[in-house]
Amino acid sequence: MQSSKKIVVLGHFGVGKTSLIRRFVTDAFSDNYKVTIGVHITKKTVEISAENNVSLILWDLEGTDDIASLRKSYLLGAHGIVFVFDVSRPSTFQDLNDNLAIIRSNLPYVPLMVVGNKADLVEEHALKNVIEAQEIAVDFIASAKTGKAVNALFLKLATLLTTNA
Amino acid sequence: MNENDKIELLKDILFSDEHEFEKKIAQRVTFLEETIQKPTKLAEKVNPLITDQINDFKNSIPETLGPTITETLKKQIKINKDAVVEALYPIMGKMVKKYVAQEMRLLSEKMNSQLSFLSLGKTKFKSFFTGKKKEGLVFESLNSAKIEQVLLIEKDSGILKASYAKTKTIDEEMVSGMLTAIKSFVEDAFNAKNQNLELIEYELYQIHLESFATHYVAIVISGNFSLGAKNKLQDIIFNFYNSFMAMNVDLVFQTKNSQNSITPVNKATIEKELLKHFKNAKL
Ligand SMILES: Nc1nc2c(ncn2[C@@H]2O[C@H](COP(=O)(O)OP(=O)(O)OP(=O)(O)O)[C@@H](O)[C@H]2O)c(=O)[nH]1
Ligand SMILES: [Mg+2]
Repeated sequence: MQSSKKIVVLGHFGVGKTSLIRRFVTDAFSDNYKVTIGVHITKKTVEISAENNVSLILWDLEGTDDIASLRKSYLLGAHGIVFVFDVSRPSTFQDLNDNLAIIRSNLPYVPLMVVGNKADLVEEHALKNVIEAQEIAVDFIASAKTGKAVNALFLKLATLLTTNA
Repeated sequence: MNENDKIELLKDILFSDEHEFEKKIAQRVTFLEETIQKPTKLAEKVNPLITDQINDFKNSIPETLGPTITETLKKQIKINKDAVVEALYPIMGKMVKKYVAQEMRLLSEKMNSQLSFLSLGKTKFKSFFTGKKKEGLVFESLNSAKIEQVLLIEKDSGILKASYAKTKTIDEEMVSGMLTAIKSFVEDAFNAKNQNLELIEYELYQIHLESFATHYVAIVISGNFSLGAKNKLQDIIFNFYNSFMAMNVDLVFQTKNSQNSITPVNKATIEKELLKHFKNAKL
């Protein structure tokens, strides 16, 4: 079985959406910040099992500080969503609840991963406080810089997508 | 001789050469056209051929058919010579026509190879067209639109359903996503609910987009994509989409009416259909 799935990656400005994708697709990282304008599309094929492959078509959206201003048509037909926030910048997760509610109202049934990125910038105990303060379960604490949990999060999503279908 | 003189001289050489070439081709084309179109001229060419063929025919009969039949036929042919010619004429006519068509094709191939030489110098190539004389148009048709690639894409998700390509060079799945993103952006930006982005120009290529309810078709075109070519292309797309829809109808029908598990229309089946419609399509 070979299928293709549209994954939308979104979140506030500069939280590391592009970096997470780059780490996942090319296993590289850069400190250089290049703002994403519009959408950037990349692809990576994930092997779930010997006879089961999924091509993830990753839609890396430009950051939005106000999710209401997000171009809704980019969300159309998405099979999975990755919502990224920056664990070192509270402004990127203070409104996590509202943000996710808006996404859910557009795409009620698709699998959604909530990812806290830049784990390398925050001490272990501070990280714990951040996670516990959230009403919504954070699925992964990751770092595009060290590569922590990056493959795991995309693999988890890919698996969810193939078992759902 | 200064730089300008040199350029003038070069132009002289290039242009006179070109005119000579163009004139010769034009003469040849005119001649061939006249030959085909004017019955008397065609007869001039055809009649000797026919006489020859009849002689051959007469000569070969003794060997192929029995001598008795030969005798009677010989007499018959001698008596009814005109009738035989009459009967053979359409067959011979077709053969001659085929021969002329073949010649024309060879000629056009020759022009093609000449053309690739000409297109090396872009200005020269252009000057060729500015006159837009009848014979100039012959060349233009050689640069006619060609289908390079066809993508059938899910409208919302931008997921590639099936594709056809003369040569696979790009990652079609990523291109499908990008086209869909561009399409959403443009259609959103103009806030046009029922309007669809129809054409994207990209370097030497034009990408024609034809939108339907659930899918759209993106066609990468090289060459001179004229209005006429667009009309033809749309006909082909509609025909293809019709058969694609028919596949889906079958699927619905099967689901309702059989207990057997159904196999969804797979990529290979759709791609076969794409091939059928687009591979030899002329625009
Ligand atoms: N230390 C650290 N820095 C990171 C990490 N991930 C991203 N960065 C840095 O954060 C900055 C922004 O990263 P991007 O990946 O461009 O962020 P983005 O979310 O794509 O940004 P926009 O496209 O503008 O919304 C860059 O300078 C990255 O190097 C991480 O895990 N750790
Ligand atoms: Mg980015």
